[in-house]
Amino acid sequence: MMIGGGRSSSSSSTATAAGGTWVSTTSVSASGKRIQREMSELNADPPPHCSAAPKGDNLFHWVATIIGPPGTPYQGGIFFLDITFPSDYPFQPPKVVFKTRIYHCNVDAAGNLSLDILKDSWSPALTISKVLTAIRSVFSNPGPYSPLTSAVARLYLADKAKHDEIASEWTLRFAK
Amino acid sequence: MAIEEPKQTLQDSKQANPNANTQNVDAVLFSPRFKSAAVMAGWDEEALIVATLVVEDTPDRQSKHKKRSDFVFKTPPSTNSRRKRRVQRRSPISTPVAPLKLDEEENSQQECKEESVEQKIDVKAERNTEVNEPLEQTPDVSCSSPSPALQCMDKLREELSCAICLDICYEPSTTPCGHSFCKKCLRSSADKCGKRCPKCRQMISNGRSCTVNTVLWNTIQLLFPNEVSEARKSAAGALNSQEDERGSPESGRRSNRRAQSVRPPMVISTRDAALAFRQQSEDLSRLVSMRTRRGTPSQSEDVALALRLQREQSMESFRRIRQQTRIPTPLSSARANLRAMASRAINIHR
Repeated sequence: MMIGGGRSSSSSSTATAAGGTWVSTTSVSASGKRIQREMSELNADPPPHCSAAPKGDNLFHWVATIIGPPGTPYQGGIFFLDITFPSDYPFQPPKVVFKTRIYHCNVDAAGNLSLDILKDSWSPALTISKVLTAIRSVFSNPGPYSPLTSAVARLYLADKAKHDEIASEWTLRFAK
Repeated sequence: MAIEEPKQTLQDSKQANPNANTQNVDAVLFSPRFKSAAVMAGWDEEALIVATLVVEDTPDRQSKHKKRSDFVFKTPPSTNSRRKRRVQRRSPISTPVAPLKLDEEENSQQECKEESVEQKIDVKAERNTEVNEPLEQTPDVSCSSPSPALQCMDKLREELSCAICLDICYEPSTTPCGHSFCKKCLRSSADKCGKRCPKCRQMISNGRSCTVNTVLWNTIQLLFPNEVSEARKSAAGALNSQEDERGSPESGRRSNRRAQSVRPPMVISTRDAALAFRQQSEDLSRLVSMRTRRGTPSQSEDVALALRLQREQSMESFRRIRQQTRIPTPLSSARANLRAMASRAINIHR
């Protein structure tokens, strides 16, 4: 009696804290609990120019948006991302994929993203909020030496003005 | 007492030729008030000397009393000197009494503080249970009303959370680089993500054999009793279901009793049934984790049955311990004081 009551009350409290976006189920795994926590933290204190929330009922599948930072060719664009959490989430990085096309040397045509913290440098202490902030900083500072699309990286290094022109054109076309 | 002799001689010489010495004696022995009174009464020198033996001077002349009592020192000691002696006798005792009295008057909680020092573990855990009730609303309230105390509580919550599970650290373990995580979280991180600190990526030499940072753990238990008890419940529930799947609940209970008897100071001081229950579940979880680490259980039995058995068991222990309780009055009063302190603290928080 005690145990069941305690658990259900805890999950319901987190659900209400998260604004009732997710209905609590009877048992929540450790990763689910952590994702719930992240969700309520994102709601309480969202990172600037970013947002993220579960897509539907599935807690492990999120949609995030990043607004292109000013002073970059991506300025004003709204970029959608898909986030998929692995079942042992905090110990494995989430999979982040761009849903909006973007002209960036670290993002390929399929929207895959080359970001060290989402691969080898992942740490269980990282959160989605931090990941989104990191992605946003990649907008401002591309990493042309570890590119996914080498053509874009080459152009970025050779002729930044031209690169920026194309990037802002893409932003206008796909992200606005 | 060394002064006695010269005075005695003085007295002798006085008696030898009183006329020559009366002035001296006057000057030395009598207060101006006494002298004026004597003049008014028309006493002569002899009468004055006799008067010194009989009449008590005004009490403000201490030196005179001493001398006079010396004159009369064969007779039973004068009330003055006795009083003085009494004062002297009293003084070493009376001085320490004063601060004690002050303490009593100032705050009666001081007593229970002292008691709490005596039974540190017991009272600490007790305070947990008592703070439980008044603190219940704080996590919810903290979001809505931004009073400084609650902001502080939020900061503390942030500071004392595990970066891996984002909950309040449960049995925190501190890395060599100084970052703290739940013991369980740190262990799984070391297993799955390599032996590096999740926060600063420094190498953790002993990722597997992490120990609990007791100071931090106790602090967390004091500050967030609700969260801790909830986490404990769920942890115990998860582990107990495993344990009951393995074998009969009887063995678990027996081993529990054994585990309790290993730590007599805690158990003896424990009169609180709730605390005992919690302790028991802690023991159980420890036991189970040890067992599960040793070998993988078959885990074929019904989980629901296991849970029910576990509940029965805990309820029984609850009842048993309640029957045993013989709460001594000072302890209960201390508990009441603590409760009052806690509620006062909560009021201040709000």
